[in-house]
Amino acid sequence: MPSFFSPLHAALFALLVPLIIVYFLKLRRTRVSISSLALWQQVVNDQRVNSPFQKFKRNLLLLLQIAVLCLLVLAAMQPFIAGTEANASKLPILIDCSASMGARDRDGRTRLDLVKAEVLKLIDGLLPGQQLTLIEVGASARRMTDFTDNKVLLRSALNELQVADVPSRLEDGLRLAQALTRSHDQIERVRLYSDGNLPTKTNPATGQPMAAIDFDLSFPVDFFPLDSAGSNIGITAFNARRSTTDRWDVFVRVEGSSSSSTEARIHLTSNGQPLGEERVILEAGESQRLVFGVDTRQAHHLEVKLEPADHDALTCDNIAWLNLPQGRNLSVYCPVTMAAFRHALSAIEGIQLEPDSEGKSSRTSYDLLISDDLADDVREASTSCFVGPLPGDLQSALQMKDEPAEVVDWKRDATLLQHVQLKEVLINNVALKQEGVTDNDIERAGYDILAFGNQGPLILRKSDGLKLTYHLLFDTDRSTLPYRVGFPILVSNLVNEAMQQASLAELRSPSTGILPPLQLSKETTYRITDPTGHHEERSTNEDGVLLGISAPHVGEYEVSKGSELVDQLGLSLLNSTETSLSQVDKIHFNELSVDASETRPTTDRLLWKELAIAALCMLLLEWWYFQKRPAAVPA
Amino acid sequence: MSVAATQFTPLLGNDVLARVERMRLNPLRRRTNRMRGEHLSGKGGTSIEFRDYRNYVSGDDIRYVDWNIFARLNEPYLKLFAHEEESQVVILLDASTSMGFEGKFELARQIGACLGVMGLMSVEKVSIYSCGAKQVGPVRLLPCSGRASLKKFFRFLEQLEPGGDFPIEEAIESVLQHHRGRGIAVVLSDYLTLGSVSRSFNLLHGAGLELYALQILSPSEIDPEMTGDLRFVDSENDATLDVSSVGELLGIYHEHRLGLERYLEVEARKRNGRFVTLSSGMSIKDVMFDTLLRRGWIR
Repeated sequence: MPSFFSPLHAALFALLVPLIIVYFLKLRRTRVSISSLALWQQVVNDQRVNSPFQKFKRNLLLLLQIAVLCLLVLAAMQPFIAGTEANASKLPILIDCSASMGARDRDGRTRLDLVKAEVLKLIDGLLPGQQLTLIEVGASARRMTDFTDNKVLLRSALNELQVADVPSRLEDGLRLAQALTRSHDQIERVRLYSDGNLPTKTNPATGQPMAAIDFDLSFPVDFFPLDSAGSNIGITAFNARRSTTDRWDVFVRVEGSSSSSTEARIHLTSNGQPLGEERVILEAGESQRLVFGVDTRQAHHLEVKLEPADHDALTCDNIAWLNLPQGRNLSVYCPVTMAAFRHALSAIEGIQLEPDSEGKSSRTSYDLLISDDLADDVREASTSCFVGPLPGDLQSALQMKDEPAEVVDWKRDATLLQHVQLKEVLINNVALKQEGVTDNDIERAGYDILAFGNQGPLILRKSDGLKLTYHLLFDTDRSTLPYRVGFPILVSNLVNEAMQQASLAELRSPSTGILPPLQLSKETTYRITDPTGHHEERSTNEDGVLLGISAPHVGEYEVSKGSELVDQLGLSLLNSTETSLSQVDKIHFNELSVDASETRPTTDRLLWKELAIAALCMLLLEWWYFQKRPAAVPA
Repeated sequence: MSVAATQFTPLLGNDVLARVERMRLNPLRRRTNRMRGEHLSGKGGTSIEFRDYRNYVSGDDIRYVDWNIFARLNEPYLKLFAHEEESQVVILLDASTSMGFEGKFELARQIGACLGVMGLMSVEKVSIYSCGAKQVGPVRLLPCSGRASLKKFFRFLEQLEPGGDFPIEEAIESVLQHHRGRGIAVVLSDYLTLGSVSRSFNLLHGAGLELYALQILSPSEIDPEMTGDLRFVDSENDATLDVSSVGELLGIYHEHRLGLERYLEVEARKRNGRFVTLSSGMSIKDVMFDTLLRRGWIR
């Protein structure tokens, strides 16, 4: 049974009284003079003329006018057929716009298209007093509109939604919704439209993957999943490792969707020249790693392209790029006075060590700087390791003292300290924390404490843009560390990390989201053009690093200065979850789970438009009836 | 009506008049008066024109016994002679206001003129009664006959104008109060009356007049094109009648109009009369030389 939003408008039915009165008062009949009324009197007296049907026909115009008025009044009362959906006055709608939402089914429709169609219905069925806000959830969350009932605005915002070639970060969207629930009392529920392709972890109870979101859910969420788009195959990893001084091992990982087997052909090209080709057949959920060998003597702009044999739901994961620099030795500066380090470095291949034994050096910048003097900081190096001196910004927080100390704990998973045993290492000078200084103060200064002594931090790590610095806050020559097996391992780890920093050992294809930091000229403005042709002007910082550029699309980004192309790098999706198009029917939050809704709630259906159209049709019918010619006269 | 200088009457063209003069009325029965005339009586007469023989019966005037036959056959036979009596032609013209629509009265006058000319040319006594206003009564042309009366006859017709509310049934009764004599009664009317013509037709029949009933309707009465809600105003008495959805009622209107025609035809036939419906849109030539001639009203 329909209900009415505005039943008070029923008072307008009183207009029927004046309508009827006016009809009869204002019924102006055309006077027609005829020879005699004899025949017409007989016609009027005819029983058929006075039959109910004929009476109805005689007053058909009045009945039509009454019907039009009734329809208009009913429309004004705003009738509606109640749907199954709760009538929340304010409803935030989270719409997943991650890469998997761009998956196309065989009809060519993306998952986002389906969501848009559903949300459009919701917007069209918006009731008076209801307000929506659309929240786009991609690599981050963004509110497309404020709470509004303006359908034009909502439709426009909905049309603006686009798939971003990035993994989904549902937490951001939920946090945004949580902030809204705190500021708006009328929010009862939050609606989430997603394909259910969310980061998963293995359920310890069942062993099955489950979508786990690290979020304390404080409001009800209605999760509406979408149907699967079909099979997909894509590249989920593309990286290179320098196996020898003259060879890169290039790894390509290809994964198929979890629903069906897939087949594709892989093409690897370097600077446009083909390097290799492979055919891959994958079972559902299977992945395969391909290895290609590439010469290090020249730089390579690698492009791997995947050519699916059948329907491929997602196209953005079919291509990836990787820039390989020309192979060279790692340049290391280590003063002659640091004999232990130089001795350990001399045993490692692929290192160009300076200064020489006579103290001469030919370079001003290095890949790795190892020094016991902060003054050597003037030599540019992507990775530095200072042994002994306190960092300048910690001079007030720490103080070096000649006191014995020992290592209490250290981060064994830190790159520098992997396989390094620091237990029972004797240390004779140590950095003591000033009174009132805590480890948190040191961490707030940007340092990561890798090793803790019994009286203060022993090893610090600081990452500043592209520059990585280690501080050993003790004198290695006055400790037993150089005599431990772990010392050459520590130096080797340091060299490996420096090679990583200098992109000489291992390289990964950058993925979408944020453009990786680029080392360019200091404080210079560059123009960055994305694959869609949009461009923006951004300036490097005082260290010459270009940071924080959003890169939501798969493709090659160009960095140019004026008309000169400075750098070009390709960003790829490279996300196993997005490529698998796997779907979950339950999302696990920190304390509770949300099941996918199997049925879509129906919204309240407004009927005033239909009634208004019916009134218009009735009006046209009345006009036609009034204007129509008389019936054909029998011969 | 513009009249050519050489035209005898504005009512009829010369060609029509010339042809009508050669035509005669063709009544179904001979209804004659005792007065001598040109119509042969059904009864025996005393004219010089022999008609038949019959057996002599006792009481017959022996002066009419054919003695030559008696001499040959020795049986008396009576000679019968044709008796020529006059017949009257009464033209009753409905001149009420309703006849003033769309040339109805004009056609009625023309038909009356044609039939009157035929009567005059047959040396019948032709009289005209124009019934317009009820309170005034019928305006009449006293019986006249012969070609010499043509001018008077046409002058009377030409000066007639429609106007008044004389119902046709009352007009017939009123005319019969003034008229004496048997013959033909030509009643020209639209017969759109709320009353019944049954009694008046009876009176006509009883007065020895053979009925020539001609119903003249205008094209808009035969085939009205109207729609919507209308207020009809009677032309004769200004009475009004509100009718809604006229377009929807046209079918019923036609049924009633045809029903009236059937009624009038039946009422006329019952009294050995004739009836025809004419449209005022027809020309006088079509009416006289086609419709009436083919129906045998005239010859």
